[in-house]
Amino acid sequence: MGSNPSVVDHFVQAFEKVSGVAHIARSSVEIAAQVVAVATEKNAKRVALANLPDNLTGAIAEACVAAGFEVVRDPFLANTLPAAIDQAQVGVTGIAFGIAQTGTLVEIATNDVVRLVSALPRTHIGVVAASNLVEHYDDAASQVRKHFQSNPAGCVVSFMSGPSRTGDIELKLTLGVHGPESAHAIIVVE
Amino acid sequence: MPSTRYERLTEKIRESIANPKNSHALMHCMQRGRDKRSEALAVLPGGAAFRDEVKKVKDQCIENLPGLLDQFVENARKRGAHVFLAKDGAAAIDYVLRLAIARGVKTIAKSKSLTTEEIEINHPLIEAGLKVIETDLGELIIQLVDEKPYHLVFPSVHKMAEDVAEIFAKATGKPVSSDIPSIMKVVQAYLRPIFLEAQMGMTGANIGVAETGAIVIETNEGNGRLVSSIGDCHVCVMGMEKIVATVEEAMLMVLAHPVSASGQLPTTYVTWMGGRLPLGEGDGRAPRESHIIILDNGRTAMREDQDMREALSCIRCGACMNVCPTYGVVGGHTFGYIYPGPIGIPWTAQVHGLEKAGDFAPLCISCGLCKEICPAQIDMPMMIAEVKHRDAKTHNRPRADEVMMGADSAARLASACAPLANAAMNIGPVRSLMESVAGIDSHRKLPPFKRGTFMKTFARRAPRGAGGIRKVAFFVDVYANYNAPELGMAAVEALEAAGCEVVVPDQQSSGYPYIAYGDLDRARETAAYNVARFAPYAEKGYDIIATEPTAAYALRVSYPKLLRKSGKSKRVSERTYELFEYLLQIEASNTTTQSAQFAGKRYGFHVSCHQRPLGAGNGAMEWLTRHGAQVELIETGTCCGMGGTFGMKGGALGYELSMEVGKPLFTKFKESGVDAIITESSVCAIQLAEGTGLPLMHPLALLVKK
Ligand code: SF4
Ligand code: SF4
Repeated sequence: MGSNPSVVDHFVQAFEKVSGVAHIARSSVEIAAQVVAVATEKNAKRVALANLPDNLTGAIAEACVAAGFEVVRDPFLANTLPAAIDQAQVGVTGIAFGIAQTGTLVEIATNDVVRLVSALPRTHIGVVAASNLVEHYDDAASQVRKHFQSNPAGCVVSFMSGPSRTGDIELKLTLGVHGPESAHAIIVVE
Repeated sequence: MPSTRYERLTEKIRESIANPKNSHALMHCMQRGRDKRSEALAVLPGGAAFRDEVKKVKDQCIENLPGLLDQFVENARKRGAHVFLAKDGAAAIDYVLRLAIARGVKTIAKSKSLTTEEIEINHPLIEAGLKVIETDLGELIIQLVDEKPYHLVFPSVHKMAEDVAEIFAKATGKPVSSDIPSIMKVVQAYLRPIFLEAQMGMTGANIGVAETGAIVIETNEGNGRLVSSIGDCHVCVMGMEKIVATVEEAMLMVLAHPVSASGQLPTTYVTWMGGRLPLGEGDGRAPRESHIIILDNGRTAMREDQDMREALSCIRCGACMNVCPTYGVVGGHTFGYIYPGPIGIPWTAQVHGLEKAGDFAPLCISCGLCKEICPAQIDMPMMIAEVKHRDAKTHNRPRADEVMMGADSAARLASACAPLANAAMNIGPVRSLMESVAGIDSHRKLPPFKRGTFMKTFARRAPRGAGGIRKVAFFVDVYANYNAPELGMAAVEALEAAGCEVVVPDQQSSGYPYIAYGDLDRARETAAYNVARFAPYAEKGYDIIATEPTAAYALRVSYPKLLRKSGKSKRVSERTYELFEYLLQIEASNTTTQSAQFAGKRYGFHVSCHQRPLGAGNGAMEWLTRHGAQVELIETGTCCGMGGTFGMKGGALGYELSMEVGKPLFTKFKESGVDAIITESSVCAIQLAEGTGLPLMHPLALLVKK
């Protein structure tokens, strides 16, 4: 791994091909600003955050609250779920790695609330470090294995390539049938 | 007398032809699937080569299945999953029912799972008072109207937006306008509470990974993610053949599946579940459970059945459905029981019984296209032949099928009586008699028979070409022998001119109709006969050349399969070539004689289905171009409809269906503005002449000295 401009470019191209929207951010301040911008554009009231490093969660939460959004974040109490997430319009999750060839974000969850945050709200934003982008689809196998090995008790790996889609009516591509109708990736370059 | 099941099938075919709405939607879907697949393969590194990899991996996994199954079970249990091995559907249903009752489940949200459809789990659960809702849109649509899938990947492809709007209006009791965005809003509002309230989520699994004990669920809509994360009890029903050894192998399947189906790489969501996760923190929840039901339901028997085993390699991508010519006309309700399309025939035979498979197996015209598109290269045509063969033990074959299988002896007779036979064939009453007695459709203009056969002409000729640099054993087949000996001789002379010594060993016609109509005993006898005659030549370094595409296919592809990969059949297969791919290789490139015959004309080339795995007609096209012809490929990617001799038969299960299949291709040829059509297949030529009204030509006609 390692960040080089071509991997980032390739990822952006492929992600856009699957109807995703990619952003580049250089600091947690920029990440937070981009989350706020997307939430504003979507007229969100509530933003859910999961699977992010504590300091980043803090930065995004702070910016969202300042912009007038309600924030749900850890700890997520079991008896408030899934309703607490269902009421969020934007979900932001930390992404373990991305695959440039296919425009895929790979989320590693050890608690299913993470999956709810990326699956229930109408907009999902995945935050991934540029240094964690791999070029080829085949490069992902060893990563997947590694995560299973380091989480013997339970681990769910989710490949997400763009927003929820269906072609079930007249084969017309329709986005957002159950899950997010828009999928964003914030790529963090150092 | 035709059996009632034959009449039922005939009736269904006629209904489909009379109401083309469903078929139009389906054919559009299939064409789109094929186009998208080709587009994706054009940019995929290695292109279609991934199929070799998939086949290798699946073959290995099926071979090692018992061990992989143990490993998967052990690792899944280590991750806390409850694993239940269900010997059949009843056992699986019983398990789920008990579990649901024990956990006080009221609602089950399901994501698409063909395996649960195979065992028809919904009805008994609903009868027990549970609310069971399909959450994949296509599956929900057909659940609401209580139908079976029309297509494996697009189960509701036959429902237009207005139909869907009506279905949801009925389900919700409120009017729904028929534009897709409005329908989507209704669907979301309908399903969201189901996702949230369901105490049990039920999914299938596309893959089980032995090394990690994880299951893999692929969806585009994202419903699989919700169904597997919200309810405290997750049940996965997985066919035991889905298990692969490693993460790398699973990654390959994750790619092969959608790329074959619709050119996607990979599906939008791929969920790898390695055990069950907590949901949130603190108290207030029931324990989170994962139950993996591994279904046998005939799979072990399938694995032990050497003629059916390959079907276990199916990854349910639906690509075979996208190419099957007759399926495109009649759809999955006629061409299927629960599993539709080509692979539906062997799978139905194995899990739902031979009788049900035999109901629709005659729809297969043995074109072989499904095998060529299948990511696992499953030999469906041969397995379907086996199904027909087994079925014929308890049901008589339609008489027309028997006649077609005897075409070689009929041709021998007609040739002996030509020109009497030719004159008779053009007399109306004689033709109606042929239709009523022999089942040959009276619309068909049959090729005239020649009195002298190729075999006789060749035998009379003084030996020549001895000591040629290359040695060729020539395979003639019915048409060139009885109907067009001059074409056969032209081929021989072209080979000799290119420096070959040509011999014509004793032989029978290819016998492919025996495969097509499922008389595998006679197919094997014929294969054994021809292999015994040609193998000694192959072993002495002779190349085997056939002019008829189906004959070349039989020698190269079918015989080794029929003869269980005997050494002799493999050697024959390895040395078999189509005439033009061979001529191209050996003719010096300075033999570009410009034929005056071609001047100022445009030709459309038709590839016969059986050429696809050989040279796909490239040999002939390049050869024609070299000889000055302006020739272009015109194709739909599927069959012209003739299906060997299928389209010769009278009635719905013959001529009528055959012409319906051919329509899109006829249109393409007519719209292309070409002066004539060139094809190497004698039977496609009959079909295209009738369907397009254009002149037909065999590329060898160029070589015939006038
Ligand atoms: S061989 Fe041809 S007709 Fe038969 S199932 Fe396959 S695609 Fe369909
Ligand atoms: S048989 Fe082959 S092409 Fe057909 S669904 Fe199965 S894997 Fe796909």
